[in-house]
Amino acid sequence: MNPITPIINGMKITLSHMFMKPVTLQYPTERPKVAPRYRGLQALKVSHSKAKCVACYLCPTVCPAKCITVEAGEDANHNKYASVYEIDILRCIFCGYCVEACPVDALKMTGEFELANYKRSDFIYAKETLLEK
Amino acid sequence: MVNLTIDDKQVTAPKDSTIYDAARINGIKIPILCHDKKLKPFGACRMCLVEVEQMKGRQIPACTTPVTEGMIIRTATPEIIKARELVLELLLLNHPLDCPVCDKAGDCDLQNLAYEYKVDTNRFSDLKFQHEIDYNNPLIERDMNRCVLCGKCVRICDEIVGYGALTFIDRGIETKIGCEFEKGLDCEFCGSCISVCPVGSLLARPFKHKARFWALTNHNSVCGYCGTGCNLTLGVKDNKVLTTIYNDEQGFHKGQLCARGRFGYQFISSDKRLTSPMIRRNGRMTEATWDEALDLVASRLKGGNEVAALATARLTNEEFSLFRKMMLESIGSKNFDHSAGYAHSALSKGFVRSFGVSASPASVLDIQKSDLLLVIKTDSYETHPVVGFEINMAVKNRGVKLNILSDKRGKLSKLPGAKTAIHTPGNEVAVLNAICKAILDKKLEDSSAATIPGFAEFSKSLELFTPEKVAAQSGIPAETIIKIATDYASAEKALIIFPIGLAYSGHTESLASAAANLAIITGKLGEEGSGVLCMSEKNNGQGAVDMGFYPQDGGMTAQQILDSCVDGKVKTLFIAGENPLVSYPDSKKVKSALDKVEFLVVSDLFMTETAELADVVLPACSYAEKEGTYTSLDRRVQYVKPAIRKLAQSKSDFEIISQLISKIDGKESGTPAEQFSEICSKTAGYEGMTYSTLGNNGAFATTAIKASLVVPEYTPVVADASKLALVTGSVLYHNGTLSQHGEGPVHVCPEAYLELSREDAARLLINEKDQITVTSESGSLQLIAKVSPRIPKGVVFLPYHFPAAPANKVWSGTAVTMVSIAK
Ligand code: SF4
Ligand code: SF4
Ligand code: SF4
Ligand code: SF4
Ligand code: SF4
Ligand code: FES
Repeated sequence: MNPITPIINGMKITLSHMFMKPVTLQYPTERPKVAPRYRGLQALKVSHSKAKCVACYLCPTVCPAKCITVEAGEDANHNKYASVYEIDILRCIFCGYCVEACPVDALKMTGEFELANYKRSDFIYAKETLLEK
Repeated sequence: MVNLTIDDKQVTAPKDSTIYDAARINGIKIPILCHDKKLKPFGACRMCLVEVEQMKGRQIPACTTPVTEGMIIRTATPEIIKARELVLELLLLNHPLDCPVCDKAGDCDLQNLAYEYKVDTNRFSDLKFQHEIDYNNPLIERDMNRCVLCGKCVRICDEIVGYGALTFIDRGIETKIGCEFEKGLDCEFCGSCISVCPVGSLLARPFKHKARFWALTNHNSVCGYCGTGCNLTLGVKDNKVLTTIYNDEQGFHKGQLCARGRFGYQFISSDKRLTSPMIRRNGRMTEATWDEALDLVASRLKGGNEVAALATARLTNEEFSLFRKMMLESIGSKNFDHSAGYAHSALSKGFVRSFGVSASPASVLDIQKSDLLLVIKTDSYETHPVVGFEINMAVKNRGVKLNILSDKRGKLSKLPGAKTAIHTPGNEVAVLNAICKAILDKKLEDSSAATIPGFAEFSKSLELFTPEKVAAQSGIPAETIIKIATDYASAEKALIIFPIGLAYSGHTESLASAAANLAIITGKLGEEGSGVLCMSEKNNGQGAVDMGFYPQDGGMTAQQILDSCVDGKVKTLFIAGENPLVSYPDSKKVKSALDKVEFLVVSDLFMTETAELADVVLPACSYAEKEGTYTSLDRRVQYVKPAIRKLAQSKSDFEIISQLISKIDGKESGTPAEQFSEICSKTAGYEGMTYSTLGNNGAFATTAIKASLVVPEYTPVVADASKLALVTGSVLYHNGTLSQHGEGPVHVCPEAYLELSREDAARLLINEKDQITVTSESGSLQLIAKVSPRIPKGVVFLPYHFPAAPANKVWSGTAVTMVSIAK
């Protein structure tokens, strides 16, 4: 084969790509479309303006990274609720077991993936920040 | 033994076992829900159905059916599995299925069975129960919606605890467990019902929602309260003791605990614990380092007999023995004592002269093997509740006779067939002497009695104690005394039980010898089910005596030490764990001793009233943080190891003392294990023990006795008809002053009270809960009145545990104090 042909063929492909729509996402000005089943930051679901979580301790039990801290409290109506609910996101491996374990469907994983921060302590997500918006 | 076939396996089982027992012994598992090996067979749930070929393959409950020779049993045929699934479906029909919020989840028999039998759907539908949940009780939460009506709570409260607080109420589908007239629970709060409930109907409120069962680490330990020495399991999470966990394999008591043991653990991880050593500088307590504090203390532990020490009977054997060594060898002082000096004299003096040893010639295990129990003071139940359970079971299940000599009635008096002879306070010795006299008069004594040393003198001394004379004085009719005497003498095996303790200042060497004499002359000694059981108040009262931590060879007793603090003979006083300002008699005397002594060192878990007066306070740690051994009232030596790391800067008394020794004379003291081997090499009965041989069950120190008859001292109480006779004592929910730091005990019994009879209340126009003032020669005290039918006319009862109203303001240490009461 003529030694120049492969180069021309290659250049053709390159040339054709110059007229195609680019695939590179211009993050952060452009936002990705997150798949519905993407496993990002957890959120505590809210119902009747309260977190649904009943502090059953199943998610901290199942969590392979042991990064969930729950402390149960008793409210005025003697209902059990999570007085403390924290996830140490630095240790979380986003396996989603916590969501799967929850017997009352109180937890979900959101598309939130921008979790960078400056201080280690900021990676511990407390109950208020985890509440579903 | 009978032979039978279970699931095609040839097995044997004892004749009196049920099918369930037979299967269990042979390693075949039959599921149960309503059965408990400690309780009588009941057969309420039908989980344990099995097929017996001889009964034409009918399904019968394994837990109630006794085995017979040649039985052929199948435990898991498809029909049986189906039947069990049906049972579970029906139970789950009304069950709320709120496992996520139920504290029992993870430890729940119903949950486990539903999982095992994969019952996750229900063919039936019905409404859930709508019973009201009792959230008001501070210790026990009752949610009858979760109840499976197994009746275990009802049965344990009746069969073992002997209280009967719970019962089935209503009928049919409405049936539930409740208290009489659907009132709130007001019981002994022993928590036994919680421990056996297979579901989450009965829950420990202090532990509510604190942690899941599976997140706790279990640590075997020994209860730190009374001398019974119950074994318990501490549930630990994040270095905190969160609860006690039931384990029915533990100890002679099979996991049974009393309110203090089960609900009084909070003092261990209390945030009121002392965190750092403190030194008084310019009159103010300031934090210091251990080095500063110990250097200062070591510099004052000089001058031989000018140094004295008082210890609580809650130190370990190793600590007592090292402490004694420090006093004798490093300091050169013989002045050390524990338990106010008198609360151990029954053992250290009484039994020593009567039996030749400072320990009881009987054990708690003898209670159920006896034929007759002679209990001195109904308070024996309150001071040692788990021993009380043994008495309940002996009387209720084994038909053991129960005779009680007491100055008031109590729970024991209510047991079936119990006979309580009420005497005027302070006359125990006279009554026991009169019983001996009646026995000798009727020639009921053992044939060997006359050969026992001291017999002649003893029988002569009894001339003054004819039943008639004693009847006049004690208020017990002569016939009753004679009846008790004949009952006792004619029983094949008989056991005498009495408590000792700070509040029982009349229970000293004379009572011990009087009781011993009775056992000796009738020969009720030295065999199973007979003997005399002296019950020390604190968890290591017997150990303190065994280790010799009391004055010998001319050392001062606790009371002499306090006197010498006042007159300056004692210049440095080291108090380890004791709170004499509240618990020793005569608060004025104690206060002036502690004020006047030049240098006062206190090691304690808390800033007690006594510690507040100290020059140096050292933070000690609790039994859950240290290693050592405790000796129970019947000389079971039990090993404890740390369940949690030491709190803050606290140190065990062992560490404190060994560091002081090295500062005083540069000697190294080794480890508790080395100390223990030293103890075993020189303490009678402890030979050959090591930590590893003690294991989880402990071992009995043997007690070899040499009986002699001793004439007990007796000074009649001078009654004053215009006044009331005050007796001090312990209440069920408290032990010493330590339980004041346990939330459970304080919830149920928060403050001191004065218990008086209905007659006196009516005469003095006092109503329940009235504020009254008690006045004696030593002082006066404001208290709440409690009117109760158990107290005889002319007597009032005052518990001694409470710093807010310390009994020692009106009580100067006499067995009976004459007081007047005003509203
Ligand atoms: S996603 Fe996985 S690792 Fe992260 S908190 Fe949940 S269970 Fe734990
Ligand atoms: S599993 Fe669900 S209900 Fe349980 S603690 Fe976690 S989020 Fe709360
Ligand atoms: S706590 Fe003890 S006394 Fe009270 S109901 Fe339960 S078992 Fe009975
Ligand atoms: S409360 Fe518990 S122990 Fe009592 S009957 Fe119900 S399930 Fe059984
Ligand atoms: S206080 Fe005494 S009776 Fe109660 S659990 Fe502890 S050792 Fe047992
Ligand atoms: S366990 Fe046998 S009937 Fe309940």
